[in-house]
Amino acid sequence: MKTKWYFFLLTILAASASIYVLFDFKEEQPIKIGVLMVGENRYEKFLGLQKGIEELGFGESEIDYTLRNANDNQETLREQIGFLLHSKLDLIVTLGGIETSMLKEEMVRLNKKIPVVFAGVAAPKELGLIDDYRKPGGQFTGINNYHTSISGKRLELLTSLVPSITKVHVIYDSEIKVSQLSLNETIEAANKLNILIEPSDVNTDGSLRTLRKTIEKDEGVLVLPSYRIESLTNEIVSLANEKHIPAMGLYEFDAEQGMLASYGASFYSQGYQAARFVSLIIQGNQAADLPVELPDSIRFVLNKQTKESLNVSYNQDLLMTTDFIVNSDNKGGQNQ
Amino acid sequence: MKTLQNFFQSLNIRNKVLIFGILMSSIPLLLISTYYFSFVKADLENRILEKQNLMIESLSHEIEFDFSQIFQRIHVFAAMNQSNMDINALYEMLTKSPSVEEIIVSDDKGFVEKRVSRYELNLPGVNEEWFTDQMWFSLQTEEKIYGEVEFNQYGQPIMKLAVPFYTNDSQKAIGVVVQLQTMIGEISSLRQDDSAYIYIVDGTERVIAHQDYSRLWQKQSTLPDKKVIGVKTKLENLNWELVMEQPETTAFAPIYKMLQNGLAAALFVILTVSLISVWAGLYFTKPIVQLDQEMNRLKRGKRSTPISINRKDELGKLASTFNHMSRDLLEKSQQLEQEKERLDVVVNGIGSGLALVTKEYQITWMNPILLSWLKEEQLSLPCYTVIGGENSPCVDCPITCADLEKNTEQLKKFTNDCGEDRIFRHRVFELNHAIEGQGEFLIVLEDITEQKQMEEKIIQTDKLSALGLMASNFAHEVNNPLTTINVYAEDLIDRIESTDDDLDDLEMKYYLEKIKENTQRCNKITSNLLNFSRKSDWSLEILDINKIIEDSINLVEYQIKRNRIQLVLDLEAVMPTVLGDGLKLMQVLVNLINNAVDAMEPEGKLTIIATADPNGSVLLKVKDNGHGISTEVMAKLFDPFFTTKPVGKGTGLGLSVCYGIIQQFGGGIRFESQQGLGTTAEIHLPAQSRLKEGNSYVENQTISR
Repeated sequence: MKTKWYFFLLTILAASASIYVLFDFKEEQPIKIGVLMVGENRYEKFLGLQKGIEELGFGESEIDYTLRNANDNQETLREQIGFLLHSKLDLIVTLGGIETSMLKEEMVRLNKKIPVVFAGVAAPKELGLIDDYRKPGGQFTGINNYHTSISGKRLELLTSLVPSITKVHVIYDSEIKVSQLSLNETIEAANKLNILIEPSDVNTDGSLRTLRKTIEKDEGVLVLPSYRIESLTNEIVSLANEKHIPAMGLYEFDAEQGMLASYGASFYSQGYQAARFVSLIIQGNQAADLPVELPDSIRFVLNKQTKESLNVSYNQDLLMTTDFIVNSDNKGGQNQ
Repeated sequence: MKTLQNFFQSLNIRNKVLIFGILMSSIPLLLISTYYFSFVKADLENRILEKQNLMIESLSHEIEFDFSQIFQRIHVFAAMNQSNMDINALYEMLTKSPSVEEIIVSDDKGFVEKRVSRYELNLPGVNEEWFTDQMWFSLQTEEKIYGEVEFNQYGQPIMKLAVPFYTNDSQKAIGVVVQLQTMIGEISSLRQDDSAYIYIVDGTERVIAHQDYSRLWQKQSTLPDKKVIGVKTKLENLNWELVMEQPETTAFAPIYKMLQNGLAAALFVILTVSLISVWAGLYFTKPIVQLDQEMNRLKRGKRSTPISINRKDELGKLASTFNHMSRDLLEKSQQLEQEKERLDVVVNGIGSGLALVTKEYQITWMNPILLSWLKEEQLSLPCYTVIGGENSPCVDCPITCADLEKNTEQLKKFTNDCGEDRIFRHRVFELNHAIEGQGEFLIVLEDITEQKQMEEKIIQTDKLSALGLMASNFAHEVNNPLTTINVYAEDLIDRIESTDDDLDDLEMKYYLEKIKENTQRCNKITSNLLNFSRKSDWSLEILDINKIIEDSINLVEYQIKRNRIQLVLDLEAVMPTVLGDGLKLMQVLVNLINNAVDAMEPEGKLTIIATADPNGSVLLKVKDNGHGISTEVMAKLFDPFFTTKPVGKGTGLGLSVCYGIIQQFGGGIRFESQQGLGTTAEIHLPAQSRLKEGNSYVENQTISR
């Protein structure tokens, strides 16, 4: 008789357990996102990412960010990548090309598989990060910030904005593949537009000093993508201001720092746009299925102070299509 | 249902209490939960649909507004710059339209004349065709053209829009490339609650936006068919359909969660109630189960253990009552066993045959004695055949007799296999508590042959004893006529020898007459004596009471005379006749007269009275005025071998035999005595008419004053 009762109680308990297993409502755990950036100047992307994720309906408590900054040091960057790969993360967001390339290397080396969203990489296909724009195929997807392909367009805009430019000095980084690819695009466009350009490799010792010495009036400067070049932004601005040379940067950041103009997707907008990928992956999509996107917006930004400080004539119609910005620390047009 | 009912009925009371508890706790809970669940589910579905409607209405307006705005800008641009389509104007429009990545102006043949691109160089190709044939054809008749969704070299979804405009009598066109990735991306990545998703299907039923990117660019019909709650709306100009869906599994997850909690709570309640029911079942049914077990033990004839329950409720009282009852039952069972044993011993050792008989005269049981008297083939026969030897119920059968109590005893005579006559006393008793059909009457057959023979012997012994005592009286009685005969004979002889002439024939005849007369008297005395002393079986005859009294007095006449007893006879002239044995009645009267004579002094008074009793019986009284009977003696009066007479004067059997004979007559005998004044013996005998009615009169008692 007792056995019957034990059996009855066990049945009730087993039924209760089965119902719990059947319904199995897991308690919501915050989504852990690792964020990797090579230097502080890409922090804007992180802010954009946060904002985008927030606007897509994710609350603060639902997302747990692990932000790792390499402070523009490749060794540190590798260490930070190692840290992130050994953390239990749901996905990683990289804020630039170098971070993405090195992350991929480490993931291959450590045989790690984790979805990665790159918040702005120039020429991801050419860098081997993805197989195809529509079907990336691997663990990587994100935003092709178009900075390689847009290099020719930037050359066109610079020369259209300041028609008096006779020669454009193109600053690139021969050790960064994207930068090299961008140079190729620029050269091709220069040929089509019949514009004289002079490449200047930042890896060459004293390249900026040489440029300072050789650059002349009615010439311009075009900056190509490279995190090293990004770190030299202030020096390039200083050079341009000193020589009263119009300089075309990539990001709003460049214009804010004192370059005449910039044309490209802003750090913030790339981060903001990357939030969509994060959301899609969180909602169950595979990175391999998410087509790589171009920037939602590319801004043509002009530094009003620099414009006024340069003694050049501008295409007034084109000026009307630009967004003027005024840098808060009044760097534009100053001789340093 | 029947099986379930049988199963439920087969359960013991403890399990029934448990099932009852569970059902009472779970059924109302489940019914309420089911109703509430259905209501909440329907309500939730309505809310979800309302929310989805709001969402896709908003999105569809937004999309249509975006496209409408682009067309509006193109139209404005075309109207304002028909003569001067310069690059900067195109740049301006590009700046104002973030989703437009390229604007072109075509010539009247559809070749690109001017271009402003967000990503590419503005240089148009040589005879570069921008429009599809379909678009260019439509441009001839329509004011705004929507192209198909297609992909650029970077795999981005784009859509071409075009507006015709006229300048210098030629039709040109403005075309824009609209980047769809922002719209698709925003729709796709917009976080929806509980796995809801939105997708857009274009005119070719191709999915152009979906939260699940693996579904992109597939035909809508290939989407997995699962149960969803959803709404859709048509974007008329674009020929797109905007759909919002949510799988039912996630849509109803909150109520499933509620259901889960409800079921868990229900299970908990059921578990709790089960435990309470178990406890209640044990609490309430333990005494019943114990009672059942102990009752089964009792039923099996085992000794039951007292139920120990420390409760004061009805069950406690029941257990206590059961303990008392089982104890009483045990004691009574033991008593019953003893009684049964005694009864068996009595029934088997009584020497009488016993049988239970139904109203239909069927014998349902016999004791071994009766069985031994009967043959095998007789066992199934009715009682009147087995016992009465009749083919139909006996005429005077006590079973059919209305007044059973007065007709229970009969004597039956049978001849056994050895040809020996046996006398049986046949008595019938009605059983008041018998079960119908199992024998409502008990028949007792008692073989009283030896008893009867013994009684006869005692009677005969008594008679002989009386005769012995009367022998000298008889001798004197006979001697007197003999002396007379002798005297007459000698006197006659002397006169003949003396040749007395006076002796003539007449005188001789006188002498001979006297001798004859005395001889006859002797003969009468000896005949009476012989008749009295004759040993005979009980015979039935119609008796004249007065004649019996007279014969009895004849036997004791000498004693009466010798003791100079005054005999007074008070006999009614016409007395009812009595059925019975006259000799036996005479023996009774002789005994009573002898006792009276013995009790009286010489010259006492003996009165014999015979009257007809008003109630139809005959009353005989033998009254003396002797010394009477003491109270001590009165109590032992009928005891056999009890006598107050000196040795050799009496056997002590007289009154005992009188008692037995009067019993056989169906009458009664009693004594009234007063010491010093005398004794009266009263005999009541049933008159013949009453006997015919079947009545018997039994009154055997003594009254002493």
